[in-house]
Amino acid sequence: MASAESAAQRWEELSRRWAAFRDGMHEFYVGPYRQMFLSEKRSEDDLFMIVVLGEALGVPDPAAFYSAELMPAVWDDFHAWHRRIGIPDSPLDHIACC
Amino acid sequence: MLLDLARSRRLLFVGGKGGVGKTSVSSALALAYARHGGRVLLVSTDPAHNLGQAWDQSLSDGATRVFTQENGHVDAVEIDPQATIERHFATVSATMMRLLPDRLHASAQQHLDQAKSAPGSHESAVLERIAELVETSRDSHDLVIFDTAPSGHTLRLLSLPEKLTTWTETLLASRDRSERFAAAARSVVGTKDDEPSADAELRRTLIARRDRFELLRGLVTDSLATSFIVVSIAERLPIAESIDVVQQLTVLGIDTSSIVVNRRSPSDAGDVLAERRAREEQHIARLRAAVGSIPLIQVPLLAGDLTGADSLSELAVCLTAAA
Repeated sequence: MASAESAAQRWEELSRRWAAFRDGMHEFYVGPYRQMFLSEKRSEDDLFMIVVLGEALGVPDPAAFYSAELMPAVWDDFHAWHRRIGIPDSPLDHIACC
Repeated sequence: MLLDLARSRRLLFVGGKGGVGKTSVSSALALAYARHGGRVLLVSTDPAHNLGQAWDQSLSDGATRVFTQENGHVDAVEIDPQATIERHFATVSATMMRLLPDRLHASAQQHLDQAKSAPGSHESAVLERIAELVETSRDSHDLVIFDTAPSGHTLRLLSLPEKLTTWTETLLASRDRSERFAAAARSVVGTKDDEPSADAELRRTLIARRDRFELLRGLVTDSLATSFIVVSIAERLPIAESIDVVQQLTVLGIDTSSIVVNRRSPSDAGDVLAERRAREEQHIARLRAAVGSIPLIQVPLLAGDLTGADSLSELAVCLTAAA
């Protein structure tokens, strides 16, 4: 009875360890790909940010009239963005996010 | 000929070189059609407006009734790009304030003020107002006549819908890629990458934009809905420019329905004018050779000042009588 119970416990312990091992292996092999996808996404978003903020960054934007309506969506990410592309302080004098 | 055109089209653009009489011709045509029961919206897109002078009334960015006869009437608008810019940026500003935390409001507002004065905003605003007027006049008017700015401006303006459709498509494709990368990262192993709510709004904005540009482009390049009338005078430079405009319109896919040759000199009013007339014939021959089958409508030099409905009538008669 007791031995049956401990056998079940041992089995459970084993399967938990196995699952952890499997997850670890999965992460080991798959993690880099996830990072790759996320960094691709980030590059895409950074590019978008430049398009929308072009005028303020000193790049004349003939479509500024239309880019302006896209600003609300990128604004939140602005601070993270300029830090990420290697500008420590806000590149826009009038945007004091730092 | 021009009356049939007015009856059968939804939009007419009247264009050509500066100083050849675009405003008089578009006003006279509006008047002629209104007398036949047409409900006409006459819109000046030239920043240097003189539609008001032609009708002897002060006009604004909103419609002003300048002529009525039984069922027909003419409503005139002088597009004011600044008013459109103000309206547009007020809307954007409201959206931003709704989405952004309070501490960012002041900077966001400053940034918007910069975009407001960007070169190109002016042109976009004219286009925006054109699209708006085309949409809002759908039920209230039978025809919209645009009295346009000199050739170069107008050709650029008419090429904008296509360029901007491409612009919005490019940005939408960028959002699609970004979304697919995020989804791919999520599907590999659940990440803690939650969707920003702003992204959906961004997409909606872009899609609404694209649809509007495409609608306008579709309408302008539909030869059954839209025609371009080139106005010229029979002199060397205006004729050369007219030939050029017709070619560029063809490239843009816009139908040139007719060319009005304005202010033909009389043959029976002295030697100077008779000699001028002979020279004009040479220029017109060159025009005919270049534009082939597009009908030419010749209008004699008129004595009047061409202001107010009464004197526009005289031109209207010439325009609609000419074969």
